[in-house]
Amino acid sequence: MKFSENQIRLFRNLSVVSGIFTMVIAFTMIMSLIQLKTSDPLEDPALKSIIEQFDKDPENADIAENVRSLDLIARKAYFAARWQLETGSYLLLAGAILFVVFQWLSTGQEKSARGKLPPKPQITEEKERSKKYLIVFSSVFFILAVISSFALRPLLPAPGEAKKGIRSEETGKASAVLPVPDGINYPNFRGEGSRGIAGGEGYPTDWDGNTGKNIKWKVPVPKFGKSSPVIWGDKLFLTGAEGSVFEVYCYDKNTGDLLWTGTGSDFPGASKDVPETDEESGMAIQTPAVNKDAVCAIFANGNLVAYDHNGNLLWAKNLGMPEHTYGYTSSLLIYNDILLVQYDSELRLSVIGFDVKSGKQLWETSRRGKPVNSSPALGMFNGIPQVIINGSPEVTAFDVMTGKELWTINGVVNDVAVSPAVNNNFVYVSANYEALLAIKPDKSGATVGWSDNTYTPDVSSPAATDEFLFISDGTGAIACYKADSKEKLWENYFNSSFYASPIVAGGMVYFLDRDGVMHIVKASATYELVSESSIGEDTDSTPAFSEKRIYIRGEKNLYCISAD
Amino acid sequence: MIKKYSRYLPYFLIAVMLIWHSVLYAQQMRYPRPEFETQYTYPEYQYNYQRAPYWEYLDVAVLIAALSITSWLVIKKRSRQGIMWVSVFSLAYFGFYRQGCICAVGSIQNVSLALFNSDYSIPLSALLFFLIPLIFALFSGRVFCAGVCPLGAIQELTGFKKVKVNPKLEAVLGAIPYVYLGLAVLYSAVGSQFIICRYDPFVGIFRLGGPYTIIIFGALLLITGIYINRPYCRYLCPYGVLQGFFSRFSWKHLTITPAECRNCRLCEPSCPYGVILPSDNLKNTEVTEIGRKMKLIYGALILMMGLSLAYFFYNTAPLLARMDKRVSLAREIRLEKEKGIKAVSEAAQAFNESARTEEELFEEEVAVINRFRAGAPWVGLFLGLSLGIRFYRRIIRHPRTEYEPDRGRCVSCGKCFEYCPVKIKTE
Repeated sequence: MKFSENQIRLFRNLSVVSGIFTMVIAFTMIMSLIQLKTSDPLEDPALKSIIEQFDKDPENADIAENVRSLDLIARKAYFAARWQLETGSYLLLAGAILFVVFQWLSTGQEKSARGKLPPKPQITEEKERSKKYLIVFSSVFFILAVISSFALRPLLPAPGEAKKGIRSEETGKASAVLPVPDGINYPNFRGEGSRGIAGGEGYPTDWDGNTGKNIKWKVPVPKFGKSSPVIWGDKLFLTGAEGSVFEVYCYDKNTGDLLWTGTGSDFPGASKDVPETDEESGMAIQTPAVNKDAVCAIFANGNLVAYDHNGNLLWAKNLGMPEHTYGYTSSLLIYNDILLVQYDSELRLSVIGFDVKSGKQLWETSRRGKPVNSSPALGMFNGIPQVIINGSPEVTAFDVMTGKELWTINGVVNDVAVSPAVNNNFVYVSANYEALLAIKPDKSGATVGWSDNTYTPDVSSPAATDEFLFISDGTGAIACYKADSKEKLWENYFNSSFYASPIVAGGMVYFLDRDGVMHIVKASATYELVSESSIGEDTDSTPAFSEKRIYIRGEKNLYCISAD
Repeated sequence: MIKKYSRYLPYFLIAVMLIWHSVLYAQQMRYPRPEFETQYTYPEYQYNYQRAPYWEYLDVAVLIAALSITSWLVIKKRSRQGIMWVSVFSLAYFGFYRQGCICAVGSIQNVSLALFNSDYSIPLSALLFFLIPLIFALFSGRVFCAGVCPLGAIQELTGFKKVKVNPKLEAVLGAIPYVYLGLAVLYSAVGSQFIICRYDPFVGIFRLGGPYTIIIFGALLLITGIYINRPYCRYLCPYGVLQGFFSRFSWKHLTITPAECRNCRLCEPSCPYGVILPSDNLKNTEVTEIGRKMKLIYGALILMMGLSLAYFFYNTAPLLARMDKRVSLAREIRLEKEKGIKAVSEAAQAFNESARTEEELFEEEVAVINRFRAGAPWVGLFLGLSLGIRFYRRIIRHPRTEYEPDRGRCVSCGKCFEYCPVKIKTE
């Protein structure tokens, strides 16, 4: 393409103009960027000053109008700067393209004129120069390394600092056997390991809430909740909630005195949101968990708190609002010093391990499937303590210490709300109208040992010894299976349905129905009803057992039952 | 009258297009009105359709085809014009159509992340984009840089003038890609960030959007490239370092002359990148061989350079880690805690509203710094040895009898072809 002198001059001029335009735009954008980075319309001093005036005289309409005007101006300026910046990027690009085009047109693609060539470099000079550079640079780098050693080494963390602590020192080593339930502490939902087995013996079998027979004490619980009591030493813990106020209660288990109340909703980072939940569940359906150092409680909006036994808040956090059709209901579980949280949300499905004392998250492992309403239970298979979750559709076990998934097997799919029952050989899971499965974990995974669909608990979780599996369901049925086969040993029906889970204690099985009547049956191969006792109040909570006493949370009151 | 001003018509059209584009853009900036009155229901889901996987293989096929054609144009056909047309195609396809992604330059990070993180599975296409241009470099030199890389192509097409950079400055600036490569591998290997993608100057142009700073940088780099050609390739590109390394051992390579060099010096001004190595003037010059003892000393010095820089980088690991967002957040939170300087960043606000504790954050910070500490010395060692070997190669090099391209730095653009007076029939 050939251009006349005039045209080439025009191109040159246009390229100069577009070059200047590009530089001006670039400069303006840099200034706008600085302004945008440094200014916040709501931090404008004039605006802040007039807002202060308004705070002192809130009735003054003139000041209010001034605040609005200034606020509008400040925001306009801010968004104008943003607009300039974003539009500027296009103008800049356009300017650069024009500059390039005009440069190309004015320059053409002509070869560079051959001028006077410089003398050729001498190879010997180049070699000498390279030798010199090699010595100089190696010396400079050496000195640099020495200086950096003094100047920068203090910034370095000690070797391995990040690795220490979490497992070996702070949480202790994993024990090779499952903790045996003792007669004093009842640390989780359904007791030690959340397995429905209570330690100790000599528990009462006869009481009457209406007459006060064998009712040692009865106290009202300040706020509504369906969480079950847990016990450590002489202290009993519960949770309750009303509106957006969530609380943790500590009672003296001997007297029923309320020792302290801790908040579950008022701490930095707490969520005040109240999610929609199933009418029956509410915000405080999750049973807390306790060990020697702390009691931990979780609520339906993901608020998780830990108090020491004297009511001092150790740590608190919100795990994020669980998105759940029926509301989040999973109870907590503590193994040694690790708090295990089954987190079920449409957005995130996981199991999380926290250090009980510090609240430090030790691990989090994602789960598959959809949110459920079951709670975790502790198992011990192949010498590994594991937290077992009845999910939908998978039943999965995770290493308590690391969160590593150990085994998984397809289980039940329907609305899963039943927590696993665990003995030394099997894990039992169920879902209403679907199946009751006995899963046998082994070294290569897990298999279904047996299954049955005669009794399929919906809410109440089964309890298993190595001999028997006890279940109660929503139809009012109770039954006993042989633990290692689907052979039904006995069954019976009552008029009221069961939500509370059966507990095996002192050679008997305690089935608490929704009317508050406890059906006490011998834990044996033949059906033998020992007694039926009522607290005189509806209940859906699972009872706690400690030192020959039974603790039951009714709809409004907390009962201590003792034959002494 | 119309005829008189008709020559200005193209510029008028360009101005109208730009103004129209600005108007459209300004309209995008308007706030959406709140929906109080109408009963319009927003669609529940709005998906961006995912690109079907087979398109990735098409990209790989296009890459291989473009590399093969460029190799043929560089080695056999010796056609500068042909290389330019491949550049136009690559810019259109890999640049504007594929919007700079997938890209061999950025694939370095995918590869290093995959090498050091077993839980990351590298996409096959990313691996192929990393390997195939290097394999071609082993056979025919940096043909990828010549016409296939969109970053190179956009600079090639806008580099009109040839301002030669002082060789010493060129050498200093030429060291930057080594540092950039080392840091890019380090940051991706420790799972921190992909700095090559983050600071890609031309991706904003390819996508017509992006961070303002990057668009400004890209535009200024293009303008600089008009005079100092291919500034990104020469002074920044980390993949160019790998290309250069493989190209040094290439089976075939671009030659300035198709036959025997006559040492006419006509090609000397042709290369805007200064990578034509002249023949040596050996008259009255005695070139002595380096003795074994001296070679050992040089070897020791090179090793010292490598180890010194390794140690230096080991010590600077906490500083390097500050670019990691987890470390910078921990520093911000610590400053607030210890010195009362309010943490105002969005990350700090998100942290304060999250369930994480400070202990967790600080522990993660230490873990990240430890990862940097484990990786940074290797970067230092690489840089020290690279520089040392570069000097050593010059010390031991044999005299050249003809003009030849520096195989490591030559991007095979073919600008030198037409300067050579020796012509042979290419049929």
